Amino acid sequence: MAALLDIRDLTVRFATEDGRVDAVTGVSYSMEEGEILGVVGESGSGKSVHALAIMQLVPAPHGRIETGEIWFRESDLLTLKGANMRRVRGKQIAMIFQDPISSLNPVYTAGFQIRETLRRHLDISQRAATSRAAELLDLVGIPDARQRLRSYPHELSGGMRQRVMIAMALACDPKLIIADEPTTALDVTIQAQIIELIKRLQVELDLTVMWISHDLGIIAGLADRVNVMYAGYIVERGLVKDIYARPRHPYTAGLLESVPRLDRKTAGKLKPIPGRPPNLARLGTGCPFAPRCRHGDDRCRAEMPDAEASDQDGHMVRCWHWRHVASGETGAGESHA
Amino acid sequence: MLLQAKPALVKAMPERPVMVEVRRLKKYFPIRRGIVFARKIGDIKAVDDVTFEIHKGETLGLVGESGSGKTTVGRALLRLLESDAGEIILDGEDFRRLKGKQLRRARRRTQMIFQDPYASLNPRIPVHGIISEPLEVAGGHSRKELRARVDELLDMVGLDSSIRNRYPHEFSGGQRQRVGIARALALNPEFIVCDEAIASLDVSIQAQIVNLLEDLQHRFNITYLFIAHDLSMVRHISDHIAVMYLGKIMELAGRDEIFDDPQHPYTQALISAVPVPDPEVEESRERIVLEGDIPSPANPPPGCVFSTRCRMAMEICSQKAPDYRKIEIGHYAACHHAAGAA
Ligand SMILES: Nc1ncnc2c1ncn2[C@@H]1O[C@H](COP(=O)(O)OP(=O)(O)OP(=O)(O)O)[C@@H](O)[C@H]1O
Ligand SMILES: Nc1ncnc2c1ncn2[C@@H]1O[C@H](COP(=O)(O)OP(=O)(O)OP(=O)(O)O)[C@@H](O)[C@H]1O
Ligand code: SF4
Ligand SMILES: [Mg+2]
Ligand SMILES: [Mg+2]
Repeated sequence: MAALLDIRDLTVRFATEDGRVDAVTGVSYSMEEGEILGVVGESGSGKSVHALAIMQLVPAPHGRIETGEIWFRESDLLTLKGANMRRVRGKQIAMIFQDPISSLNPVYTAGFQIRETLRRHLDISQRAATSRAAELLDLVGIPDARQRLRSYPHELSGGMRQRVMIAMALACDPKLIIADEPTTALDVTIQAQIIELIKRLQVELDLTVMWISHDLGIIAGLADRVNVMYAGYIVERGLVKDIYARPRHPYTAGLLESVPRLDRKTAGKLKPIPGRPPNLARLGTGCPFAPRCRHGDDRCRAEMPDAEASDQDGHMVRCWHWRHVASGETGAGESHA
Repeated sequence: MLLQAKPALVKAMPERPVMVEVRRLKKYFPIRRGIVFARKIGDIKAVDDVTFEIHKGETLGLVGESGSGKTTVGRALLRLLESDAGEIILDGEDFRRLKGKQLRRARRRTQMIFQDPYASLNPRIPVHGIISEPLEVAGGHSRKELRARVDELLDMVGLDSSIRNRYPHEFSGGQRQRVGIARALALNPEFIVCDEAIASLDVSIQAQIVNLLEDLQHRFNITYLFIAHDLSMVRHISDHIAVMYLGKIMELAGRDEIFDDPQHPYTQALISAVPVPDPEVEESRERIVLEGDIPSPANPPPGCVFSTRCRMAMEICSQKAPDYRKIEIGHYAACHHAAGAA
């Protein structure tokens, strides 16, 4: 059980017009080699910012990593500067974004961009780079790989562009891939192709994958473990099978209850989480979920609970009342007829 | 299983009168080349011979991949776009033939709710102005009446009337979508096209808006065409579901029937591609992963438009387009394999 990535007490702060915003607060967790970690949570919960922090790509000067350590293999990435960090970024940790059209340069061919990535990190001839690029396109399931090297991004479909992005991410044999909503812009049948592809590559190349998504369904089918984020905190974390069957945090329980399921007939109305996500610039000292929480009480409104190991190995939750939630009426499996 | 007073059961009764009837609707967009002397070199068959009906107070869900023609169907139905052929019968009236005053009157009975609550609301107008605008255009209301009606509409969509003087940027996405819905309701529409109306909202907020749309439907007997990518939500909200691919309806059936007994290989693939938020189910599921991409609508494949990606394609599929035929009452499919084929 070797930890590949170990994050301790990470806090990322932005200075905004509205005031100080802690986009990520006290986040700690580790990723084992070879696992797939899902990160879920609603818009603005800090999923992307926490991933950017790992890559040291938090936009300065408004954004700053306030506290934390990010251990990757033997080094704390937050102590690496300039060239040393560039050596990690792209080479050992690669990132895939939601929107390949804005991450690919429109004026260069797919082949050129993959070759550039290769030559930036590896000492490799032009010719070797070209055949490696073709191999990579082949690996990610692009037909006629050699031909496609000559295609410009606009000549490729959305799904093909995302495959090119994955090929680029894989170019230097990274240990860790961070995929930030890589299928959100794609049609569901193309999304299914990309998910199958990642599953296959993960096994073939022994990858460790972090997959950020707001889709609970994708994470259910793909990830081993899940971090549930709310307002910058990881509010619950553990094995996917455990958490989906028995959420201990009211937010997780609420999310699972609020989505209709394709495999079930629906009876009656949906059960939304009332209210809306908080303005991060206006958070008090209490639990940020308290205004929407059916278990919330005075203590919740006054004081944010610490991350606590629960009743299951490796499971943690940040809620005063998780025992009520776990034992209670809110289990995801029983809400529909 | 307890039998609750389930609105779905009542809704499924076939006696309800037809609100919208669409027959053999076509909308082609010309593809032109050249700038000074642009000449037409082909057509995008965005909507190609589409037929369906929606009963009063019911919801037809319309799903399909990007570019399959869903928005074009919605816009054509409301005559925000002129169709090339076919009929649109709106509550018994031949909507495509209406002109002048009659057209304006009929149009008022319809509305559209868009995906992006940001883009569809004017940022410089406060909430009460946004909501009262359609009323002012229609005319015949005093200031006092307008004010009362705006407050009533805000209340209907679950917003406090104290926000009437605030501007769109002061609201969350869910609240903005509520403002958009309030505006759409201003003239008591009977038929509303919801085009990806919840797509940009957070998961926890989507359920709030869908419940609101259902409440309004029950209270005012509104008919919906609900266009969406999210099949799970479509299953929840719809009475019937139509699946489009490259401008054509592949299959149409009752919301449960289409999931329990999908006839078209495309419907089957689409359903199997949707992840379910349950790890146990996901683990044991058989998945049909479609190969390749959706072909260009400017150059659709001959025969069945789905034939290039279909795992069940036979020789005839790339030669002859299958008829859109009735499988049983309320269930239609366009596939050479579909049960009921001669
Ligand atoms: N450049 C920035 N300047 C100021 N605030 C920022 C910036 N980037 C992010 N934030 C804030 O940080 C918080 C977390 O944002 P983040 O992008 O991590 O959310 P997310 O969980 O990825 O959401 P989404 O699902 O919408 O992608 C948000 O409240 C956001 O407004
Ligand atoms: N005004 C237009 N001019 C030319 N082509 C158009 C126009 N509007 C739509 N199209 C084309 O018609 C086809 C159908 O488009 P439509 O927007 O109806 O699809 P859709 O199913 O709503 O897709 P999405 O899920 O992406 O919203 C597409 O190929 C599109 O490019
Ligand atoms: S700490 Fe209190 S308010 Fe926060 S989630 Fe738990 S019960 Fe709800
Ligand atoms: Mg993000
Ligand atoms: Mg559309």
